[in-house]
Amino acid sequence: MRDRRLWTVFSLLLALLLACQPAATPTPTPTAAPPPAAPSPTPPPPTPTAPPRPVLFLSTQLRPVEEAEKMRNVILKPFGAPVEFIPEDEGPFHDRIRAEIQAGKVTVDVVGALHGNFVTLLKDNALEDLAALMERLKDRPMVSQFVELGKLGTDRPYCIPWMQATYILAINKKALDYLPAGADLNALTWDQLRQWGENIHKATGERKLGFPLGPKGLIHRFVQGYLYPSYTGAFVTTYKSPEAVEMWKAFKALWEHVNPQSTTYDFMQEPLLAEEVWIAWDHTARLVNAFKERPNDFIAAPVPAGPKGRGFMPVLACLGIVKGAPNREGAEALIEFLTRPETQLTILREVAFFPVLDIPIPADMPVHVRIEGEAVVKQSRAPDAIPALLPVGLGGKAGEFNKVNRDTLERIVLKGEEIEKVLQEEAANLQAILNETGAACWPPDPPSTGPCTVR
Amino acid sequence: MKGRSWVGDVLWYAGAIALALWVLAPIYLIGLLAFSPRMAVYRWPRPLLPLELSVETMRFFVTATGTLAATWNSIVVALFTMILSLILGAPAGYALARFFFPGREAVRMGILMTRMFPMAILSIPLAVTFIRMGLYDTPWAVALVHTAMALPFVILITASVFTAIPRDLEEAAMTLGCSPLSAFLRISLPLALPGLAAAALFTFVISWNEVFAAAILTLRQRTLPALVITVLNESPLYFRFAGGFFMVAPALVILLIIRRYLFHLWGVSGR
Repeated sequence: MRDRRLWTVFSLLLALLLACQPAATPTPTPTAAPPPAAPSPTPPPPTPTAPPRPVLFLSTQLRPVEEAEKMRNVILKPFGAPVEFIPEDEGPFHDRIRAEIQAGKVTVDVVGALHGNFVTLLKDNALEDLAALMERLKDRPMVSQFVELGKLGTDRPYCIPWMQATYILAINKKALDYLPAGADLNALTWDQLRQWGENIHKATGERKLGFPLGPKGLIHRFVQGYLYPSYTGAFVTTYKSPEAVEMWKAFKALWEHVNPQSTTYDFMQEPLLAEEVWIAWDHTARLVNAFKERPNDFIAAPVPAGPKGRGFMPVLACLGIVKGAPNREGAEALIEFLTRPETQLTILREVAFFPVLDIPIPADMPVHVRIEGEAVVKQSRAPDAIPALLPVGLGGKAGEFNKVNRDTLERIVLKGEEIEKVLQEEAANLQAILNETGAACWPPDPPSTGPCTVR
Repeated sequence: MKGRSWVGDVLWYAGAIALALWVLAPIYLIGLLAFSPRMAVYRWPRPLLPLELSVETMRFFVTATGTLAATWNSIVVALFTMILSLILGAPAGYALARFFFPGREAVRMGILMTRMFPMAILSIPLAVTFIRMGLYDTPWAVALVHTAMALPFVILITASVFTAIPRDLEEAAMTLGCSPLSAFLRISLPLALPGLAAAALFTFVISWNEVFAAAILTLRQRTLPALVITVLNESPLYFRFAGGFFMVAPALVILLIIRRYLFHLWGVSGR
């Protein structure tokens, strides 16, 4: 009996497979239905005979399911021609482009990724020179630093600015009762933040500050663009300076009031919504859900300042065209469309990434965008602001570089190792990577002729 | 005597319940949160009973671009992998079980060695090869790779299944006039069938869960795990629960189906 049932299951599965797909392999089962007459190498669906060829847009940005759907159904809707928007993780993203370039058969037209990814793409010789397109876009009021960054250290535009983001503080309103006397929420110092955390810790018995130290968290950006610039005014050159030693002492003191669960946090919006933490630092896109879901309970604020100023990191995402893209014309049209002022505002409204054009933000934005937007503007316009770039020119070594920063923090703060010793050792690791890649200093470090050097 | 067996029973059932909870509790929680309203995911203490249900996140996930197509691709890939690896693997397993030829142990080891290749270093060459062959971004490419991954299991499992079937039975059939082929088809195959079915469904699950090859070899024709890993990796918790449940459920159903045959996997059947 059992055997007969199994045979039935088998033949059902087989029939299902054969019925749904053109036969691709000969099946030896004599009872199988005859395969369809003309086995075609490409399976269905039969695409409607569409006149405009679809543009294949591969992106490491807007990966979360809701953002991707907004991109497809709202932002790209007015474009007219069909666009296949496919989000992808950074690793497979680079592997795929490399494989397509190596095989000499490119399928991807437009790539959207962080500025740092483009440096790697250029090294893989995978980008088209977009000078002609840039010429057509010259009436767009693009932020000139971004245009400069898009040249990736050459004199040709390869990466056309698409959207920007940064990192800010998100604060549960319950924390405001414990704000230290005399502290201005829009001009906090790191010392005041420590005091704030301590007040909450004493009053509630809980450690309510939070940082994204989880495996996918962006804590390395915190070290590179926030902590070091605020305390030392630079990053690489001052990696083991006396100011850095003081900085780590101060941060260790602050850590007393940070939720120890922080080592598992990837996106701070989750612990904020669960109220495991009250005050958190993270990327605007990784905080936005807190403001979206409960706009009345959370506020945003610029990051605190240190003795040297208010270090912060603007993040730039770019668009580019893959070398040998099958639909170059469509690709250019898509980039032109995505950098239009009205599209840029739609992107802001729908997915909360900020425009790369110098345009006024209308007042009718959704509330979560307004909350973040105000903090972002206050942060970048703060008189003591120190903008820090994401590491430039490290190519495939960017991950290792980030790991050195992360290791430094973990060894000092979590494992309690001696600060001077850790800084000596990790600075040597940092220097090895810089020498190997030959990366010159990037802001806020002063420009260098050779590889950037730790002093 | 009676007392001891009573204690034994309690321990036995307590152990069984603990094991079952260990497996079922997380699945229950995933299912519960997949069908809860968004903000319930963040509530503390978490409600453990399905007091408020919502299909909102689940519906969004299922109707999002690509989810259904990816599910279909996953099914096609898994079925194709299952059939292909059985066609190639079962005869190899039979040969290993029945025939004593020089180098038999070496073949056995060689089969296992294919599992020792880390997929990661193969990814770009594999993609380049498939692009050149015109197989890139098709379910067939993924199924071929999955077959290569599943074959060692299928061969070793079917070998042990056939080993467990006494050779005498086939020989007896042959003395009664069967040819070797018809002896196999009429005697060994029906006896091996439950084990083969288990091996096939095991292959199905391997393919259903595989993500690395699927992610690099497909772009438009994503399989479900490849889609889930890119789309849900950075999505809010409630979508991860919805996606997780959506992925776990089919594998769970299949495991329930093969539960009875699972013991045949290792040839320790109680036929």
